[in-house]
Formats: sequence, C-alpha cells, structure tokens
Amino acid sequence: MSFLRTMSISGSGLTAQRVRMDTIAQNIANASVTRTANGTPYRRRVVVFETRDDAPDFAGLLNKEYENVKGVEVTAILEDPSPFKRVYDPEHPDADPEGYVNLPNVDTTKEIIDMMSATRAYEANVTAFNASKSMALKALEIGR
Amino acid sequence: MNWIFARTSLLEQGLNASWKRNKIIAENIANIDTPGFKASRVEFESILADALEGMVIQGKKTRKGHMDIGPGSISSIQPVVRQDTKTTMRMDGNNVDIDREMVELAENIIRFNAQAQLISKELGRIRTAVQEGRR
Repeated sequence: MSFLRTMSISGSGLTAQRVRMDTIAQNIANASVTRTANGTPYRRRVVVFETRDDAPDFAGLLNKEYENVKGVEVTAILEDPSPFKRVYDPEHPDADPEGYVNLPNVDTTKEIIDMMSATRAYEANVTAFNASKSMALKALEIGR
Repeated sequence: MNWIFARTSLLEQGLNASWKRNKIIAENIANIDTPGFKASRVEFESILADALEGMVIQGKKTRKGHMDIGPGSISSIQPVVRQDTKTTMRMDGNNVDIDREMVELAENIIRFNAQAQLISKELGRIRTAVQEGRR
C-alpha cells in the first residue's frame, strides 16, 4: 500500500526529531552535572541522523512494485568530545588542587537553538503527514 | 470499450504523479537534518506539456517493427524523479530548502484534489450517459 508507506516516511521524521528533542532535554537537564558514573562531568550528547533505506519486504519483491522509501533514523547518539568548561571555584567539592572545576561542555544557548530547530522540523513533518492523509482520504472519495 | 475511460485514465496518470511527488516531498522534509542528503524532485507536468506541444523529437513509425523514438503515446508518460546532487544549502552538505518544500507540498495537495475532483466529475458524466440522462 503505497499511501501508507508515504505516511511512514513522515512518521520516521517525527520519531527522529523527537529523539533529538529528548537528547537536547537531557543535555539541558545535565548542564551542571559534575559527577557521572564514569567519574567525569557530563558530556553533551549529539544525535546522528541517517537516511533510512527500507529493505523491500517479501510481498514487495514479489509484486515488483517495490519503491524505495527514504525515511530518516537516528543511528547513534554520540558524545561531544569538545573540552569541558573550566571554572574557578575552590569551594566546590569536585574542584581540582588548583581550585578549578570541570563543568559539562553543554552550551545552553546552543541547546535552545537546536531545540527550536527540532520543533520546526517536527512541525514540518506533521504538515507533510497531514498532507498525505488528506490526499489519501480525498482519493477514497473519488466516484462518490 | 476503453475509450469511455480515456479521460479518466489520463487524469489517473496525473494523480499518480501527484502522489509520487507527495512521497518525494515527505522524504525531503523527513531528511531536513540528515547530513549529506540531497533533495529530489518529481517531473511530470513539464514532460507532459512538452509532449503535448510537440516540443520533443518524435519518431514516425512506418513499419510495425519500428521502435519508439521520443516519449511515445501520451498515456505512456511516467513521472520522473530527479535528484539535485550539485547544490548545497548548508555546511553539512544537505540541500533541502524547507520553504520550497512547504510551498510545493501546499501546491501539490491542491493539484491532487483538483485531479481527484475532475475524475469524480468525469465518472459522473459517464454515469449520466449510461443512465440516458435519468437520475
């Protein structure tokens, strides 16, 4: 069913943007965490988007009607390797002998801008989904 | 028998092209943040217009075994997907222009609805003819 596949493209976009949004929320929530399980301050996480090439299913191969559908997927959530922010705060329990504290490499401004971009992209996918839906419903009305 | 539905089948081709375009636009929008993704476009109306206006070279068939030169009959014209691999919009190599995609999406819905309505009307006319004008 071709028209259901089209909606799944927009669906994959929605999922990917939501994962990105979750990652951004995680970054902002952990923006001042100096202790994590592995002993270092929190490192900013970044999502990696890749085009998803759906492999044809069995019925698709049989019908030879198979059409490649290029959705999107999050293939990895990686750590940002940029250096930690160093702040002079000798009273902090995690301060090194020189009195400096390593804070996470999260830039809240950057995260907020990323968040806005994710929101807009999500909205664009919703619009595309609604367009597919209205077209499919219109096609069902043919001949009424 | 087939000539009754000659017009609806032509409109059906247009409908298929619009549906395919919708799919391509959905792909472009879904991949708005994918690094290195290149947007695709569906061409159909321009190919059809060229064929209708005789803007393409058309081979005349004088014998049965001759092959087609040019697009052949109008009914054999298929939508073509072209990928724009030359341009880049951003640093990550992606070239999806969201404004253009949204405009084309809106245009495409209207075009699709118009074609669907035309098919409905045409079927209504055939029905009227079949029923000899009675309701």
